[in-house]
Amino acid sequence: MGQLSMYWIFTRKAFLRSSVYRFEVWSRTGSNLIFLLMWGSIWTALYAGREEAGGVTFTAMLTYIVASQFLDGVNEAGTPLWEIQEKVRTGDISLELMRPFDVPLRYLFADFGSVAFYMITALLPLYILIFLFLNLALPTDWITWVYFILAAFLGFLIRYCIEMTFGLLTFFLVETGGIEDIFYFAMSLLSGSVIPLWFFPAWLETIAVYLPFQSIFFLPLSIFIGEIKGAEILTSFGIQIFWLVVCFLVLRFVWNKASHKVVVQGG
Amino acid sequence: MAVAKYIGLYFKLVSAGIRAQLQYRFAFVMRIVGMVTAYTGTAVTMWVMLYQFQTLGDWNFYEMLFLFALSILSWGFCIILFFHFRSLDTYILNGTFDRFLVRPINPFFHFMAMKFDVASFGQFLFSIIAFVWVSLELQIDWSIGKILFLLAVIVGGVLIQGGLLVIISAFAFWTTKSEQFYWVAMYPARNLTYYPLVIYPKFIQWVTAFVIPFGFVNYFPTTVILEKETPFFPDYIGYFSPVVGVIFFVISYLIWMLGLRRYKSTGS
Repeated sequence: MGQLSMYWIFTRKAFLRSSVYRFEVWSRTGSNLIFLLMWGSIWTALYAGREEAGGVTFTAMLTYIVASQFLDGVNEAGTPLWEIQEKVRTGDISLELMRPFDVPLRYLFADFGSVAFYMITALLPLYILIFLFLNLALPTDWITWVYFILAAFLGFLIRYCIEMTFGLLTFFLVETGGIEDIFYFAMSLLSGSVIPLWFFPAWLETIAVYLPFQSIFFLPLSIFIGEIKGAEILTSFGIQIFWLVVCFLVLRFVWNKASHKVVVQGG
Repeated sequence: MAVAKYIGLYFKLVSAGIRAQLQYRFAFVMRIVGMVTAYTGTAVTMWVMLYQFQTLGDWNFYEMLFLFALSILSWGFCIILFFHFRSLDTYILNGTFDRFLVRPINPFFHFMAMKFDVASFGQFLFSIIAFVWVSLELQIDWSIGKILFLLAVIVGGVLIQGGLLVIISAFAFWTTKSEQFYWVAMYPARNLTYYPLVIYPKFIQWVTAFVIPFGFVNYFPTTVILEKETPFFPDYIGYFSPVVGVIFFVISYLIWMLGLRRYKSTGS
């Protein structure tokens, strides 16, 4: 337990650090809103006045995309991929190896801090206003909210494991050009963050269902708008926990390999 | 005479820059692979979104791909010439900007010629393949007039986007920040223009036509080339692209020079 309280210190520190960079919060919020405008307009135009398409009402779809931008804001408030890569390249991360804590865990707890700050100061107030203003289809029973928050949290952890793993690949590949673009592509399309999986062509949906990315956006969002309900929610949690375990093990494996490999660059 | 001198100088500075970049050949190739992957990803997203719906605000997949590719093509040239302007803040903070001021050439020109990013080969590769594919699918009749118009539009698009990068960099003279403005404002705004502007609220369309003239980079010209309608705007508005580019760039240049004067007067 003493261990855990040490990691919470990283959370607190990150929270305080974020409060210093207030310009960062404003700018991130601005860009989040532009993308919300973009995807909101795209889906409005795709429905083109229709009440429903593919069995999903327009209101439900709009709710999906707004909630998705919210989740996107939450997920992007953590340490971004390029920063992990930068820490590997500059050797910052190797220095942390000497310290008495687990590095991936320390970054996760630090992310909790920056996410909490961003949520409290920007995302929550903003999205509460948007949800009130836009007349969206919010879950009516509290248990769905609980399920959504739980699923979103599991998704956050899965995303963290995957992003960290991709970042640590920098240890092995000095040049990571194509790698990060594959990551971002998978994160935006295969996760269902901008297009729900039920609108995919069948073959692509099959691929997406067998990949971990749908756990990050598609599953929590589908719970939120009631497309996944009843017993399906249990299955959905099962899938998420399965992928969390797998992604966590992969992260540990890559981290073990990486921490035993020291690359001296330009030194 | 002065112009000839500057052109000669530009190529000299640029060729040094290219040689420097080609030293890291693997990095160079990986960057190109990465960019092509990223743009292909966006195109695939467009395709998936139209798989069920067929059209987005009256635009089908090929028309949207053309719109997207036109934006990427002019952005490719823009990267070569102006992309490094966004990091002017780093130069100012490190004090390395001062070396552009002590030489007997125009500082704007010198800063511009400092870097020539050849990795935009990825943009060209992607957009040219997309253009050929769309031209075959939509059977676009490429007359001489249309080709000349396309070239003029690319010049206009480079000037508009370059002008915006110049304005963003000029912010650094006042606020010592510029890179961040790029990622906050220009990057998301550029993403907006990958899709036909007609889908956005009228206010946004108006802004992209007359305030930050992104509409003239790809949307308005594409409607001319593909002979599509532009609701809320006259159909011939796309023809103004090159002119808008020149005017916008001159304004940007003046703002930059204004900022530069301020920078000098504050000293270090």
